[in-house]
Amino acid sequence: MNTATRRVDVEHAAEDLRHRTLSEIPRSLDRLIYLASMRDYNTGLYYHDGLASRFTQEVACQALADCHREAFNQLVSCSLRELVGQMEEYIRSTHTSPRNFVTAWRKLEPYRVAVPVETDPVVAHFLFSSFKIALAVLEARLRSAQSGPVA
Amino acid sequence: MIQLIFFLTIGVLLFASLFFLARRNPRPEGSSGALIEARQALTALQGGLLPIEFVHRVFAPDDWDYVRSEAPAGVRSLFLEERKKIALLWVDQVRAQIRSLRHFHRGSARSYARLNPRLEMELALSFAGLAFTCRLLRAVVYVGGPFAAPRLVNAMAGAASHACKISEQSLAFLNAAQLGVLNGPSTGQATL
Repeated sequence: MNTATRRVDVEHAAEDLRHRTLSEIPRSLDRLIYLASMRDYNTGLYYHDGLASRFTQEVACQALADCHREAFNQLVSCSLRELVGQMEEYIRSTHTSPRNFVTAWRKLEPYRVAVPVETDPVVAHFLFSSFKIALAVLEARLRSAQSGPVA
Repeated sequence: MIQLIFFLTIGVLLFASLFFLARRNPRPEGSSGALIEARQALTALQGGLLPIEFVHRVFAPDDWDYVRSEAPAGVRSLFLEERKKIALLWVDQVRAQIRSLRHFHRGSARSYARLNPRLEMELALSFAGLAFTCRLLRAVVYVGGPFAAPRLVNAMAGAASHACKISEQSLAFLNAAQLGVLNGPSTGQATL
C-alpha cells in the first residue's frame, strides 16, 4: 500500500470514527478520555475492533491517533470557563460524588496519561496546569456550597 | 626569564582558547544531526508553540478575568503562579528552538553553497532580534506576570513565525539533497 492510498484510508477511517462513535460524545474532554483509553500503554498503539474490521488494524490505529490529537487540540483551545463546565458535566455523567472525583483527580492526575504521543511538552504542561486550576475552582465551589449561603 | 614567562603565557592562552573552542561546540555545525535538530525545532515551533490559538490561550487575560470573578483568593494566586510558569516555559522553549535553528543556519551557511545569502542575512537579523526580544519578554513576565506585555508577546510570536518561514524557504532545497544522500552517493553540493 503506497503512502497516498494509506493516507486516504486513514482519513476515511477517521471520518467513520467521527461519524459513528465520536458524534455521540459531544464534549472534547470525554472524547480525549475515550480515545486515550483505546491506547495500549505498553505499546502506544490504538485498538478498535470495529474500525479494524472495516479497514485494517494499522489504518484504524492511525485514525484513532489522529482523532486523539484532534480532541486534545480542541481541549487545549478551550477557555478555563469552558474546561470547568466540561468537567462539571463529565462528573455528572460518571455519577460519582463531586467531592470524591475532585479529590481523586487532584491526587492521581489521570489527565497526564491522556495526552497523545509527540505532543509538545509546553502544550501538555499548559493543559495539566489548566486541569489543576479547574479542579481548584471546582473544589472552591464545592466548599462554598457546603458552607451554604451566609444569612 | 622574561622570555620564558612570555612564551609560557602564550602557551597557556592558546591551550585555554583551544579548550573553550572544543567545549563550545561538541557536534559539527551543518552535520546531519544539526539538520534533524533544525527540522525538529521548526516542527516544534510551527506545530506546537507558535500557533496563534495557543499563544492567545497562554497570554490572553480571558482566563484571568474568569478566575478573578469566580474564584477565591487562593485559586487566584494559584492561577497566576501556574500561568506565569507556563509563560516562562513558553518563552524558554521558543528561545531554545530558535537557538537550535540559528545554530544550524550558522553551520549550513558554510556547508551548503546553494543557500541564498540574502535569506541567510535576513535570518541572521531575525535571530538577533528574537534573542533580544526573548530576553526582554522573559524579564517582563518574570517581574510583571504573564499578562504584562501582550504587545511584546505578539511581536515575539510574529517574529518567530517569520523566522520559521524564512528558515523553511532557506532549507527547501535540502529536501531533494537529503533524498539524494539517503538514496545513494551524493551528487549535489550538499555535504551532510
